[in-house]
Amino acid sequence: MNGIIQGGWGFVWSAYGVTAFVLLFYTASVIMRYQKSRKQSNH
Amino acid sequence: MAMNERDQDRREIGLEEGRRAAVVAYALIAIAVVLLLLGSYYGLFISPPERFMGDVQRIMYVHVPTAWNAMLALTFAFVSALLYLFTSRWVWDARLEAAVEVGVVLSFLLCVQGAIWARPTWGVWWDWDPRLTTTAVMLFAFIAILALRRSVDDSSKRAAWSAVATIIAFVDVPIVYFSVKWWNSLHQMQSTPKTVSPAFYIPLRTNAVGILFLLIGLMILRSRVAASRIREELAAPPPASTPATVRVER
Repeated sequence: MNGIIQGGWGFVWSAYGVTAFVLLFYTASVIMRYQKSRKQSNH
Repeated sequence: MAMNERDQDRREIGLEEGRRAAVVAYALIAIAVVLLLLGSYYGLFISPPERFMGDVQRIMYVHVPTAWNAMLALTFAFVSALLYLFTSRWVWDARLEAAVEVGVVLSFLLCVQGAIWARPTWGVWWDWDPRLTTTAVMLFAFIAILALRRSVDDSSKRAAWSAVATIIAFVDVPIVYFSVKWWNSLHQMQSTPKTVSPAFYIPLRTNAVGILFLLIGLMILRSRVAASRIREELAAPPPASTPATVRVER
């Protein structure tokens, strides 16, 4: 034990993975809702 | 509201549905994706590990930009709430809805990233520390505003109530920011250029600008979705009066 955190790449990949998943999912959701609202307003 | 102001309001809602803004939004989202890929690559593979936290510190390159932008989105929601209450223009109600939703998504992400970082550094996923507690309060307060907006059908009441609720909920945002200065907190102080080594600047700032562009792009599109719905609601004829008795056909 030297007070320095060893390893931890699993946590790093988890944080980046969750970030990518949430941002991609939300972006896709907003774009789909926008396309749907555009179609509805054109009708 | 005077007649010419109503016309201006309709024009603004129409502007929200203009195509030019959508092109700008898509361009911002595309630039954001490139910046986030570059920033994350630099943060994961080029930037050196931190002296005490080692590689775990690389979570900072997504956690801190998420925090900055979550607060920015919620501050924009607060400004939109004030402007709606002062002007009664629907465009600010649409922007409030967009900013609160984007702010909630980023705040949720902030809490998850924080929990993942807390486990190897503090030994726990969660602690009722002032910074974490006030952030959780902020997240649930703004989720409640989204729930309020879904539960109210009347456009005017929904806009006014959610604007007031946003102003009340926003009181917690500066408390979140200053919590690490005001109270004895496990959470470290805010990262500033003075507290972050120059070796860590590039991925931190690249990701911060990336999330900022994504935030603006998403808020443009999301406010147009809200504006479109509001315009439909305003154009719809008032509902027929409810009959005094209901006859059940057998």
